[in-house]
Amino acid sequence: MRRKNNLFNAIIDALVSRPDTIGYPFAELELPEGYRGAIVINADNCTGCGLCVRDCPAGALKLEKTSRDEYRLTHYPARCAYCSQCQNSCTRDAIHHSNQLVDATDRPRELVVILKDKNGECD
Amino acid sequence: MNKISIPIGPHHPLLKEPLSMNIEITGEKVLGGSLRLGYVHRGIEKMATQRTYVQDVHLIERICGICSHIHTTTFCNAVETLLGIEVPPRGLYIRALMCELERVHSHLLWLGILAKHVGLDTVFMHAWHDRELVLDIMEGISGGRVSHAANQIGGVRFDISDKQAEMINVNLVKLKQQVSGVLDVIENEPALQARTQGVAPVSAELIKDYCVVGPVARASGVDVDMRRDDPWSPYDKLDVKVITRPEGDAWARTLIRVLETRESLRLCKILVEDMPDGPVSVWASRKVPEGEVVTRSEAPRGEVVYYVRSDGSDKPARLKVRTPTLPVLSLLPVQLSAIHVADIPVVLAGIDLCVACADR
Amino acid sequence: MIRSLFILFLFPGLGFQILCGLAFEWMDRKLLARFQRRVGPPWYQPLADLIKLFSKEDLLPESASGLFEMLLPLLSMSAVLTAGLYIPIAGFTSFSFEGDLIVIQFLMSVPTLAYYLAGIASVGIYSIIGGGRSILQYLSYEVPLLITISGPAVMAGSWSVAEISQAQATMGPFVIFQPLGLILAIIGLIGKLKRDPLDIPSASSEVVGGSLTEFSGTKLGFWYLVMDIQAVVGIFLLVNLYFGWSDFSLPLLGIGIFIFLCLLMVVILSGTSAIFARLRIDQLAGLGWKILVPLSLLQLGFVILMGV
Repeated sequence: MRRKNNLFNAIIDALVSRPDTIGYPFAELELPEGYRGAIVINADNCTGCGLCVRDCPAGALKLEKTSRDEYRLTHYPARCAYCSQCQNSCTRDAIHHSNQLVDATDRPRELVVILKDKNGECD
Repeated sequence: MNKISIPIGPHHPLLKEPLSMNIEITGEKVLGGSLRLGYVHRGIEKMATQRTYVQDVHLIERICGICSHIHTTTFCNAVETLLGIEVPPRGLYIRALMCELERVHSHLLWLGILAKHVGLDTVFMHAWHDRELVLDIMEGISGGRVSHAANQIGGVRFDISDKQAEMINVNLVKLKQQVSGVLDVIENEPALQARTQGVAPVSAELIKDYCVVGPVARASGVDVDMRRDDPWSPYDKLDVKVITRPEGDAWARTLIRVLETRESLRLCKILVEDMPDGPVSVWASRKVPEGEVVTRSEAPRGEVVYYVRSDGSDKPARLKVRTPTLPVLSLLPVQLSAIHVADIPVVLAGIDLCVACADR
Repeated sequence: MIRSLFILFLFPGLGFQILCGLAFEWMDRKLLARFQRRVGPPWYQPLADLIKLFSKEDLLPESASGLFEMLLPLLSMSAVLTAGLYIPIAGFTSFSFEGDLIVIQFLMSVPTLAYYLAGIASVGIYSIIGGGRSILQYLSYEVPLLITISGPAVMAGSWSVAEISQAQATMGPFVIFQPLGLILAIIGLIGKLKRDPLDIPSASSEVVGGSLTEFSGTKLGFWYLVMDIQAVVGIFLLVNLYFGWSDFSLPLLGIGIFIFLCLLMVVILSGTSAIFARLRIDQLAGLGWKILVPLSLLQLGFVILMGV
């Protein structure tokens, strides 16, 4: 006979089963593979084309380019919206999300990550 | 007795988002109230004209947290109509799947809020526990719980592999079983019925006068649902059952959303089973030809209307959004006359406010 | 002299009551969390909350009187602590005299009056509404509670809690003859403690905090202590009135049964908190006067007839 779904039965069930919350940060947190975490770059593939900079909705990427072989790509994690548009726009599979979390800080304007810095012809 | 005026101010435990109301009461009866909006206005429509269409998809997603996917879907529908391209069927099925999952998520969230305001904390926790299953499904396919970034102009951003489809099916079965428990409790709980039956009834004429849409309109007998009236594929192939009730009080609004959750779970199962193969997106050009277009779709709270006008460049010339919460808010002072003070949370929870949508 | 000081400050006076109050709050929060599939706070949480509250800043509106607001929780705390002294704990009677049941009922109503005055004294709109509601609620549950509590007194033939408790060693626990009385007394206790489903004065979705909206810091810490100790004293009173104390051959067995009954009461209180929704004030008045009062009169009449 199927038990009636009322509140009394629900709380008895809840009492005898394990709780569903974990005590983060004292417990482990599992993130799925496709989680849009911190921005990382596959530096060998990046050619400094600037497609990611043009399409970023939050203005979190900056490219300073003086010539074909001298450029610097900077990322500001505090401005980033983690929307993965840069990953979609990149045609060379260079910039992408990892699934690591970005640590909180009380000085967000000082968060600067230099993704790729190239000076001159590499050999 | 003399009148006092309670501020349900910008900060209040009743409200998820800031809203300012001044309610006049004498004793335990409410006389009326006045409303003030605009605390979350961010100027999204103006900002949208200063960014390209590709960047606008991510801006539009942040109009609202609970109905983010349906906003981007409607916007992408509008731009794809202007461009004259067609999204492949598999992309459309994935978009519809995320829309229905979002509807389940929104209704479970609303259910928890209603239970908490009535004093049933246990149902709040159980409903949000079931909502976690929905968020796990969405995180597994798109990479984010609330901000999915699923849409792009021309299709969707990701594809569902066989392993992920298996995970979705398993989770949907578990979800259906657990959600039935919570929904049964809500339908049969006498305390909830005692608190919501007969509270603030709204007639169908008033609904039509104020142009209210969504579950609030369907709870008063007005039969309107964009999934059936103005469908985009694949909704024209699915047989969406539209649920209406004649009473128009807070209990009818509760029951409508409960039944809609069950219907959405049934639609999700069909969408996963019948998903066709093929690509998920097509290439879309960045410059959109001149023209203007109006598109509509059914958000969890009602009908959402988008108007896009383009002048041939890669930035829109004008974007206008009409969200469903705005007409409901203008109905609120009418609903607030002749109820008890203790019914204010029930009325506010019954209309399911999303002030961020209303303010943009 | 030494005995009096021991009773007043250690057992079962100040120290014991505060410890029991904090333990009750922990058990209540942990049980409620487990009913809702959460983990719940660790055992030191109520003590940590109290220490945190005592170290916070004390703010009040300009037109409220600081001295008056400080006196109200202290007055309530002394009232409930005094009431606790007249209740035997597992057979250990500290003070007793004929008629102390009435005095205990009066002392346990002092926090309700203080709650109302606190609402009026802190001049905000939410506090005034919360205070008014607490008096409305008091009128609905206090009369059936008083009638119900007279049941064990009539059956034992005395108005002293210690003698009622001892009388059950020979007559058997009174709950066998008055099960309805126990249920009505628990409902009355829920109303007195202002817990869910009768927490209308402090319903956080309508009036933000009730009377205690404007309190902060040390005063709020004392109010929380008052509510915990009131709950503990109420539980001890009900266990003594309806289950009594018998002198077993093993004294530990008696103490164990007493502790078990108190824990059972805590589980019942937390369970009703989890299951039921909050009542509206007119529904509570209807419940109190249309259902509870006739039932309690029925129970009292039954007890009187049995004695005759």
